[in-house]
Amino acid sequence: MTMSTTSAGLEFHDVTVAYGRRPVLWNVDLTVPGACLFGIIGPNGAGKSTLLKAALGLVPLAGGEVRILGAPLEQVRARVGYVPQRESVDWDFPVTVTDVVLMGTYARLGWLRRPGPRERSLAAECLDRVGLADVADRQIGRLSGGQQQRVFLARALAQQADVYFLDEPMAGVDARSQERIFRVLSELRAEGRLVVIVHHDLRSVAEWFDAVALIDMRLVATGPVAEVLTPENLRRTYAGRLDLLDEIGRAVAEGGRTP
Amino acid sequence: MILAVVDDSFPAAWIPPYNTLVVAAGVASVGFAAGVVGCFAVLRRRALAGDAAAHATLLGVGLAFLLGGGRRDLPLLLAGALSTAIAALLGLVLIGRWTRTRDDAATAIVLGVSFGAGITLLSGISARGIPGSAGLEQFLLGHTAGLTAADATILGVMSLLVVGIVALFLKESTLVAFDPLFAAASGWPVTLIDYALVVLVAVMVVVGLPAAGAVLVTALVVIPPVTARQWTDSVGVMLPLAGLFGLVAALSGVAVSSAVPRMPTGPLVVIAASILLTISLLIAPRRGGLARWLQARRTVAAWADGRLLEVALRLDGDGPFTREQLLARAPGAAADSAFKRLVRSAAIEPVVTRAGTDAWRLAVWGRELAAERSRRVAAWTEVLEAAREDARGHLTIDVPSPEAILGAARMKAIRESAAAERVAGEARPGQPWQPGQPMGGAGG
Ligand SMILES: Nc1ncnc2c1ncn2[C@@H]1O[C@H](COP(=O)(O)OP(=O)(O)OP(=O)(O)O)[C@@H](O)[C@H]1O
Ligand SMILES: [Mg+2]
Repeated sequence: MTMSTTSAGLEFHDVTVAYGRRPVLWNVDLTVPGACLFGIIGPNGAGKSTLLKAALGLVPLAGGEVRILGAPLEQVRARVGYVPQRESVDWDFPVTVTDVVLMGTYARLGWLRRPGPRERSLAAECLDRVGLADVADRQIGRLSGGQQQRVFLARALAQQADVYFLDEPMAGVDARSQERIFRVLSELRAEGRLVVIVHHDLRSVAEWFDAVALIDMRLVATGPVAEVLTPENLRRTYAGRLDLLDEIGRAVAEGGRTP
Repeated sequence: MILAVVDDSFPAAWIPPYNTLVVAAGVASVGFAAGVVGCFAVLRRRALAGDAAAHATLLGVGLAFLLGGGRRDLPLLLAGALSTAIAALLGLVLIGRWTRTRDDAATAIVLGVSFGAGITLLSGISARGIPGSAGLEQFLLGHTAGLTAADATILGVMSLLVVGIVALFLKESTLVAFDPLFAAASGWPVTLIDYALVVLVAVMVVVGLPAAGAVLVTALVVIPPVTARQWTDSVGVMLPLAGLFGLVAALSGVAVSSAVPRMPTGPLVVIAASILLTISLLIAPRRGGLARWLQARRTVAAWADGRLLEVALRLDGDGPFTREQLLARAPGAAADSAFKRLVRSAAIEPVVTRAGTDAWRLAVWGRELAAERSRRVAAWTEVLEAAREDARGHLTIDVPSPEAILGAARMKAIRESAAAERVAGEARPGQPWQPGQPMGGAGG
């Protein structure tokens, strides 16, 4: 528990991001408290991945400012963990599951130093936590999609960060793996860490998340799940995507029944 | 003269002269380094950028020749080659950053333009008959015959330097090649590392010029890594292995070309590399074509054998059975050959015995085999239900004994938990599902 409780975990102040001349995030103002499971929700192309990349300094800001744990990113980089979208890497790459998890320790090791026994035992521990101890020595391509997703999660755990950003960690993951991943994320929250997740399945939001932000280029609404996931807000987020409205309507109806 | 005659008549003359040995050592290290550096070019999908850089070297060779006043000084020419190679890579980066041209088109443009300019310049030089220009065209296809020991030493030392750098930064290079986004997010200077790797490829392309020439040197950088990848799933093994393949290819190309007068080395090096590649594509374990084919065949055969035995056991309960009956109940392409194996086995340890022209019975041994298989199938089904990961991790098509693989203790624990679950299931009977009703109770 290294996190101070006074400052917010993540702050976006008037953040605008553009690819070329096209704005993708528009004046986003967002404050996420520390130690919670926070969902970023919105339709395809809404700018959810871009929002994470802006927080991680992976895309230049056209304007505005991002602060993590009350400080600029450069000062807290070592305390930030990341789970990219699974499609972002080549899974035929010649590395084993353990090799990938060890990559989570590289930033702490710095230039030239190689992982030693301490890093190896940490990697084994992280793999065990996500239930992949059995496949530790497998080449990463010989895993199922859900297992690959958990390898990325284990690598993030090995970063031992205080703020985590996860881009669709549940994509292509079955109910069991999803449950397992959510449990690990809840443990992180219990340890006082902030977990920010881009997520698509509205049904599981109410069950697991503390708070969410609905975005579609702009920030539509943010706050506790029950206050934000109203039919009106969802309509404003998914407006113009009529094909989705049906699905959302059903999801909300079912979400309403969830205690 | 006399000395030469004496030399020819003694076995001592078979020891290659000092110069040849040094050149061979130089070329060997060039091949090794090219293979090592090429690994990251291949893994990062930058092989084509290396090719553009290689084709751009000719222009640099020509310019350096003119600037040097017509001297054929290898270090000078290679310095020229390196500068245009890097200029070409810079061109690629700039086109990518400032225009909307796609990567492959940009590569083709840079390659074509720089190669065209280089060829034009070299032809101009040789058409004017500038003294010393004879032999510049050797940079096109490679020619090691003219290398001096001093030249080869320079090439060798540069190669070893490049290998040293890659070995030193193996961790960083692997991280960036595998997941640049994650690397950037955890604070690594991804662009810097990326460019450094590309520049190392450019250096190797230049150092490899005398051995393979501008047109073919990329092959020396690309083929050995692809070959090595066939044999291993680990970067740490892939690098030295690629180096080894590169070394063998370069050396054998140079050896053959020194035996055949006026033969450029580049094509021979590439042929040697391709032979290694072809062999690896065929016979490498697991990834090789042959291994995959055999594995597929074995899988089908093992499954057919087992199924046939299972069906035979059922049929045998009603007395003798025919081949037709057996195959009808265990259909599949491999069933026929499985039946032949079944019959053939009679000679050694009878599984089936003949009870007529086309009438068969299971022998005692066959009945035991079949019963054991049914037992294993049932046991694995239990494992699959109670400990899914164990089953998924260890069950293979030939249905091995779960006790032998998981251990008797683990198997006992699985059985007990399965039994406990069954009891719990009986204690709270689920409502039977009615057609037309949604499956209830999933969310609680
Ligand atoms: N590198 C890029 N260059 C140009 N445009 C981009 C780039 N990356 C994303 N975009 C555009 O920016 C917008 C937002 O993209 P982003 O990846 O952030 O969406 P997302 O909300 O994560 O979508 P998804 O749910 O499909 O993952 C999209 O319209 C996309 O086309
Ligand atoms: Mg996305």
